[in-house]
Amino acid sequence: MENKNQYWRGLEELNNDPKFLAGKKHEFAEGIPLEDVFTEEDGDLTSNRRDFLKYFGFGISAVALAACNKTPVKNAIPYIVKPENITPGIPNWYASTCNACAANCSIIVKTREGRPIKIEGNAESPVFKGGVCGTGHGSILGLYDNERLRKPRIKGADANWDAIDKEVIAALGSSKNVALITGTVNSPSTKKAIAALVAKYPQVKHISYEPFSYGAIAKASKESFGKEVIPGYRFDLAKVIVSFGADFLGTWISPVEFTKQWAKNRSAEDKAMSRHIQIESYLSVTGSNADVRYPIKPSAETAYLISLYNKVAALAGAPALGSLPAVELPVNGIENTAKELWANKGQSIVVSGSNSIGAQVIVNAINSLLGNIGTTVDLANYSNQHYSDDAQFASFVNDLSSGATDGVIFYNVNPVYSYSEGAKLAEAIKKAKLSISSGSNLDETASVCMFNTPDSHYLESWNDNEPKAGYFTFTQPTISTVFETRQMQDSMLKWAGVSSNYYDFMLNNWSTTLSGDSWTKALHDGFYQGPVSHVAVSFNSEATKGIEAGAYELYTNSTKKLELKLYTKIGVGAGEGAHNPWLQEMPDPISKVSWDNYAAISHATAKELSIKDGDKININFKNGKIESVPVLVQPGQPNNVIALAVGYGRTAGGKTGLNVGVNAYTATIFSTTQSHMQNDVKVEKADGKYELAHTQTHHTIEGRAIIKEASLGEYIKDSKAGNHDHHKSLKENGNLITLWSEKDSKGHKWTMAIDLNKCTGCGSCVVSCNAENNVPVVGRKEVLNRREMHWIRIDRYYRFHNKDNNFITKEDDYNNEATGVDFENVSVTFQPVMCQQCGHAPCETVCPVLATVHSSEGLNHMAYNRCVGTRYCANNCPYKVRRFNWFKYRDNDQFDFNFNHDLGRMVINPDVTVRSRGVMEKCSFCVQRIQAGKLKAKLENRTIVDGDIKTACQQSCPADAIIFGDINDEKSKVREHFKKDRAYFVLEEYNIQPAVAYMTKIRNVNETLVHEKGHGAAKHEAKPEEHKPEEKHAEHHS
Amino acid sequence: MKLSKLLTLAVTILLSYQLTFADAAEGEQLYKANCTACHAINEKVVGPALKDVHKRRESAWLLKWIKNSQKLIASGDPVAVQVYKENNESPMLAFENLTDAQITSIVDYIKKESETPAAPVVASTAGTTPSPTDGNTNGTGFYSNGTYYALIVMSLVLAIIVFVLFRIRKVVDSLYEQKYPEAVAAEKAQEVSWKDNKLSFRYKLFKKHPVVGTIVVSLLFMVIFGLLGFDYGNKEIGVQKGYAPTQPINYSHELHAGTYKINCLYCHSGADKSKQATIPSASTCMNCHMHVQAKKEDGKVSPEIQKIYNAVGWDSEKRMYDPSKPKTPIKWVRIHNLPDHAYFNHAQHVKIGKVECQACHGPIETMKVVSQQKSLQMGWCINCHREANVDVANNDYYEKLHANLKIEGQTSITVAQNGGLECGKCHY
Repeated sequence: MENKNQYWRGLEELNNDPKFLAGKKHEFAEGIPLEDVFTEEDGDLTSNRRDFLKYFGFGISAVALAACNKTPVKNAIPYIVKPENITPGIPNWYASTCNACAANCSIIVKTREGRPIKIEGNAESPVFKGGVCGTGHGSILGLYDNERLRKPRIKGADANWDAIDKEVIAALGSSKNVALITGTVNSPSTKKAIAALVAKYPQVKHISYEPFSYGAIAKASKESFGKEVIPGYRFDLAKVIVSFGADFLGTWISPVEFTKQWAKNRSAEDKAMSRHIQIESYLSVTGSNADVRYPIKPSAETAYLISLYNKVAALAGAPALGSLPAVELPVNGIENTAKELWANKGQSIVVSGSNSIGAQVIVNAINSLLGNIGTTVDLANYSNQHYSDDAQFASFVNDLSSGATDGVIFYNVNPVYSYSEGAKLAEAIKKAKLSISSGSNLDETASVCMFNTPDSHYLESWNDNEPKAGYFTFTQPTISTVFETRQMQDSMLKWAGVSSNYYDFMLNNWSTTLSGDSWTKALHDGFYQGPVSHVAVSFNSEATKGIEAGAYELYTNSTKKLELKLYTKIGVGAGEGAHNPWLQEMPDPISKVSWDNYAAISHATAKELSIKDGDKININFKNGKIESVPVLVQPGQPNNVIALAVGYGRTAGGKTGLNVGVNAYTATIFSTTQSHMQNDVKVEKADGKYELAHTQTHHTIEGRAIIKEASLGEYIKDSKAGNHDHHKSLKENGNLITLWSEKDSKGHKWTMAIDLNKCTGCGSCVVSCNAENNVPVVGRKEVLNRREMHWIRIDRYYRFHNKDNNFITKEDDYNNEATGVDFENVSVTFQPVMCQQCGHAPCETVCPVLATVHSSEGLNHMAYNRCVGTRYCANNCPYKVRRFNWFKYRDNDQFDFNFNHDLGRMVINPDVTVRSRGVMEKCSFCVQRIQAGKLKAKLENRTIVDGDIKTACQQSCPADAIIFGDINDEKSKVREHFKKDRAYFVLEEYNIQPAVAYMTKIRNVNETLVHEKGHGAAKHEAKPEEHKPEEKHAEHHS
Repeated sequence: MKLSKLLTLAVTILLSYQLTFADAAEGEQLYKANCTACHAINEKVVGPALKDVHKRRESAWLLKWIKNSQKLIASGDPVAVQVYKENNESPMLAFENLTDAQITSIVDYIKKESETPAAPVVASTAGTTPSPTDGNTNGTGFYSNGTYYALIVMSLVLAIIVFVLFRIRKVVDSLYEQKYPEAVAAEKAQEVSWKDNKLSFRYKLFKKHPVVGTIVVSLLFMVIFGLLGFDYGNKEIGVQKGYAPTQPINYSHELHAGTYKINCLYCHSGADKSKQATIPSASTCMNCHMHVQAKKEDGKVSPEIQKIYNAVGWDSEKRMYDPSKPKTPIKWVRIHNLPDHAYFNHAQHVKIGKVECQACHGPIETMKVVSQQKSLQMGWCINCHREANVDVANNDYYEKLHANLKIEGQTSITVAQNGGLECGKCHY
């Protein structure tokens, strides 16, 4: 068996980068930072005996002084009047709605002693089915943001609400044109509140603005079907999914909902996996999970769509669009895609992430030809999760500048930052007679506005939302307002002269549908499913006229030019997560870079421009430039395309996001719709170097067979495909040497199964774990030092092909010009890794103080107070999942994140110890949840039912890729997974008996197509051998 | 002769006094346990003042009324209906668990109280709330007042006896010396100093082996100061056995849990369902103290109870909450502090483990001021986990588990055998 496999942690490894090689030899990025300690104090390293005596003497006297203190008196302050349903120590859960983005997922909020501490998905929701994304999990920190506006302000001075209301009402009455700029508004009651304001002041005009707009979809629907909505996409009903740059598993419209749908058809056991083809101009989360992926230039997208339309039309016998030459992907990609789509008429879906109306009309035309309208593209259950009128917003900016509009109200939008000409807008706002911003922080827009009327956080507010037609989800306050904030709807009602508050207003709106018990039930459930009207729609073929000529011109013009593609990242998103330390520290799913955005360019383009990783570039385009952007050479990136994420480079609003990365919004273009690309950019090398903080190259695992995969074809033939090593070692297991005595779990044995087929790498679990387990944020500098504290990481592996479509297995191939590496064509695998709770744990053996020991329930316990910080365990852990507290991360100005102030610490889970400096920590399998689940069962006098106890990562996973449970429970799902032929353990040859089983990844590739050949099982894999069918796998695993 | 007469007299007085008030003593206890929430002797609380009730009503009527007043009203008894109306139609609880004799004893007690208009040591309403700073001079409810007086008389008698005996011995000694002066002188000459006594312990230690002596003495010092230091150090790291801080309100567990036998869970309602036992909110106190004001002679509310009223904004004159008064939470001082890295759940121990509160908190029902009785150190926890059995029989959760964990020849498993000694069961 060849030892070297085909999976690479990054280009550094493939390239034998000297820095990477040096790094992998050492456990820690740098030696013990003694120099820092001395240089800070003395200015140099020359410390002498006198210094020693000084420190020594000070130390002794400090200890002596400290010892004189009496034990501090701790108070216990009970309620004055105890609310009936709150018992200290028992969490209360409230159903609510996530307002971190306009997808408005149904959530439940965990509160302890009246403070919200955790957000989780509402499993009963028929639309969102219990998933939450990382941004949603992180949004709770917004409530405890120390830099929130604590009071309303007039012209930069603190004010009270009465004064504000008086002045605003006067100003509203006297202004001639006022624009109310909001994000997507899909709340029926908020719409009515806005209507009330407009009724009182007819000069108020409501404009929807999204910083990163997909407004073209609704506009295209209007042209195509006469209905200005975003269709309800049903990826769960599609056997073939074709996405042109729509990152629907990451950031596009409603990623949680779509991931749930997508994951439903990704079970290899069903043998009817959906086929997912992604055609895109940067490596997105969705693209990295696709079965087939074609990199294209962003400007060519519409031309490819037309080509696809024509191929489908040829199969359908419909007329082609125009007569321009067909545009084809390598190895007939478009034609093959068209054939597959046609073969699954009515059960396929084509989506596009483009914000061009033309492109979206063609998408509608293709779906219409395929008969997908009404099945996978549902215009009855349409989506309200994104609405943006880019043209109107652009004309508003002009009107404000010219003075035609003399007043503006910004409702939770920040266009001074996110609009392409933010500076111009800022000047115009300063000139306006009335300017109001409801931003919760003093962001770029709020700081130039006359009035700041801070909106309450959504966890402090009432609201209703209608994310999907007929599906209403409610927001209820989980805490009373922390500061003197007022929710914007209340402000609008006040200014409109409506006497009732927003809650009564909303209640009144619902009174015909829901009242009394039904209202209480809807609030309790968090959602209400109303009736949906089905209207037949037909495609208007007139809409497609006149698109192809422009699209073809764009395609031919741009083939040689360097282009810029803008995109949004998971976490920071369009900028809403920029001030959130959890989201900044969460590594990007693909590049694994935290705390930055960067120009992703392909290997070939980097060579052409003679730039490399760590360089900085200036990107020049028509009417502007972006300076000093760090470069990341990104496999899978199309040649001659630079991809750059928006949402970074903030200049105000909170210190966490300040000057992190560069602002890419300046490169957006507003015409009829906002464009996310520049099709002619020039690049020049800028001065200086910049090291990006990426986590993937930390904790190197010496290229052992830790990822297993096979193609669906291989799997159908042999269910052990790709996993023969595991089944072989099972037989040989008895001969493996063990250093440890066998442990036996007679009661519970907690285990986990992870389905690599489903994991999309989105990172929701990482943020959920942060919140549940009080994981500290360490900041960019410490991530560079390989000291990130995340208990769960998602490893991302690449497989590269050479020009002959064989996998690269040796470092040398990288520079072998003859065979070469096809860097555009990369296959990606994600693997979440947390503590594997080994049955024979190597960490336990080396701990000199028995701080980490095994439990009778199969857990590897970690007693922080026993740990003396030798770090032997981390050294001996083959999975590199142990984390060391190099510093005290709370109450420490060096780590000025949410743990550094009282307000931010309100989010701490009281059931989990906050670790102190000098101790080791690691994933505990959420032992606090296990204990709580057991106690609940005991109190209810019953046994534990599978699913009672869910770990934080499992609960949040939108793809249901993580399964946790008691393997000794015969009915448990996890036991079922352990018995699967796909199950294997990472590094099982050591016989350390990990408790986490991974399911072999199965890709639905078509081996008959040249392009996809060889995507299947790793070639080095041992030949299948005969297996006795009666092998009892579970015995081995348990 | 004189002595025996005195003794007989004292015992006779004592017995007669006790006999006279035997019934009343039992009655007092019952009265305080059952009636004081709504009644006082000299004033109207929720129910009417009980002074001279034995004169107003016949004892047969009283028996019926106390056992079940609603039944009596329903039967159309005119007096009962009138009493009901006079008291705002708030029904009196039924006491069908009391025997006739017990009710009679309560009435006797009321009779006695009615006849002693200004008993100096008894606060005029029920619920005498002695504050610990006042000392123990007052009757605390464990003894009836009669017993108390009897004890004073008895002590006086005993003191007189001691004095008489002392006098007698003195007289006998002087008489002996007068009669045999030589013998007394000889006795005195025989006594020797310890310094000359070669057999004495002190002589051996210091005169003969000064080194050993020094070592022994210094060891003694080391042991004493070592123990003191250890105790101090323990306190420094949070081990504070014996910690009994002054609380903002002089609340007595002895009175509430001991005398009135209020169930622990009535106030510490989280103990059987939550991690925290919970300190009751001030509104819980008000459930009783809305009525129980413990007025002193001057007619003022007890200053300690007034602190509750201040917290909740209660106007004791108007008997209603005054919204204009500020509400201020009571800052109790936590006595039992576990370090943050130790997870302890009350429900697991109280409800599942069926551990008595006293097992960890000591005889709380006898404490005027609560003090920490157990060290709360890990060794103490572990010892219990080693010995305590898991109540497998009465919980379905353990049913299957127990079958798997069963040990040959043993009928039950201990907490330790169920994994109760593992780090991660309490530290996470």
